[in-house]
Amino acid sequence: MASPAIELRKVSMVFSGNEYVLRDVDILVAEGEKLVLIGPSGEGKSVLLKLIGGILVPSSGEVIIKGKNLNRISKQERDEVLRSMGMLFQKNALFDSLTSAENIAFPMREVLGASEEEIENKINLFLNAVGIPQARELFPDEISGGMQKRLGIARALALNPEIILYDDPTAGLDPITSRMIIQLIKDLQKEKNSTLVAITNDMMRAYQLADRIAMIVDGELIITGNEKETKAHKDPRVKQFISGLLEGPLTELN
Amino acid sequence: MLEVLGSKVLHFNLHFIGVLQLFSQTIIGAVTPPFRIKDIIKQLNFVAVESAPIVVFCVSFAAVVTIIESSFHMKIVVQNDALVPGFAALLILRELGAVVSALLVTSRVGAGFAAEVGSMQITEQVDALKMLGIDPIRFIVVPRFVACVLGGFLLSIIANVVCILCAMLVSQLSLGYTYGSFIMGMKGFVKFQDLVFASIKGASFGAVIPIFSCYYGFKCKAGAEGVGLATTNSVVTTSVAIIVIDFILSYFFSYFY
Repeated sequence: MASPAIELRKVSMVFSGNEYVLRDVDILVAEGEKLVLIGPSGEGKSVLLKLIGGILVPSSGEVIIKGKNLNRISKQERDEVLRSMGMLFQKNALFDSLTSAENIAFPMREVLGASEEEIENKINLFLNAVGIPQARELFPDEISGGMQKRLGIARALALNPEIILYDDPTAGLDPITSRMIIQLIKDLQKEKNSTLVAITNDMMRAYQLADRIAMIVDGELIITGNEKETKAHKDPRVKQFISGLLEGPLTELN
Repeated sequence: MLEVLGSKVLHFNLHFIGVLQLFSQTIIGAVTPPFRIKDIIKQLNFVAVESAPIVVFCVSFAAVVTIIESSFHMKIVVQNDALVPGFAALLILRELGAVVSALLVTSRVGAGFAAEVGSMQITEQVDALKMLGIDPIRFIVVPRFVACVLGGFLLSIIANVVCILCAMLVSQLSLGYTYGSFIMGMKGFVKFQDLVFASIKGASFGAVIPIFSCYYGFKCKAGAEGVGLATTNSVVTTSVAIIVIDFILSYFFSYFY
């Protein structure tokens, strides 16, 4: 296994009261690996992604990105580590007061202090790469859901990140657009050999994208392996989830 | 009963600590670089320039009511309204101008900030900023804070000047005092320091508006109800805070007379 880009050691997350969202989660994600997280809604997949992205701080345990423990480094170092990651949020998190072009320019202008000429070139490059050059001067609420996802991906890539986190990139999209978005994500990942962690509950897309799949259920992380290993996994919760069965331990939990 | 009371006290303490933390981080952000001048100017336009017409309109009526009511009551109590110009000018400069304009700005600007930040919070735009290593407090709160302090300062001066001019006009039209006699009456009651204190009050009221609005915006829960609640909480809390700060400052300034 190549050196880990992401390492989580005994990470737990507790929100209100004593309710564990995640409990003692351990995982290593190698550089250039594509890990897909699956699991029932509300079980902590987005929380895990936000812990990796440094947006949330774990209640206990360590989040180590490229060998640096996010909670034991200076603010400056932490900001640098965060800037080496890009994230597509579940609701896209596009800045609605900015046009598509300005959304892509925003990280470059704010974080890198890049020249306007360089920014202009990058805007064209990214808009073409994600296939929405026509949306350049449109605001996020003036473009379709699929285009918003593409724009979100373009903005996530604007700082040329080594690690990219995708929170349900195909949510609410039709099957054809979903497939196109996943293909786009794969192509961009291959081009830069970036490390990728994505959440999806669409098993077809999960198999299409993943090198390795992991399932979060009841605060626990179960590494299910690649497509073949996941399909053959013996845990009844995994079996029920990937088959979409109505009866089984997951529905009993609810 | 005790449990409910304890929970309310705990919630109040948590909010109080949260607001203090936000305030201290905002102050640090406001006095240390980088200074987001463009954003401050943009917010100043929203806070001061766009609020000025409604402030001018409302304080004009407040001044008219003050003059008419003062005259009416003085005529009843002391059978003479000769003290009305001075008394009205004192009331306007010490209280009316700054407080009325701050409450108007709270309802317009504070509600806007809470809804804007709340919607940024629930659509993960705040998380997107954090992910880019951008401090949301520096990016969102600080420009609004600086703009509100400056805007509150300027609007309180404008409100006081407009109030006095309206009071003079009504005094002449309704009570028969000339501009000269109004100013003479004023001189016996008010000093330049009253305008300075009013401006300090305006700036202080301005400072609390973005703090409470952004605080409730950051705490906003998902959904239309969440944004509505954040907006309501921010306007109510800011209005109460303005009244309390007005009392504290008035008490403090009384030592200078």
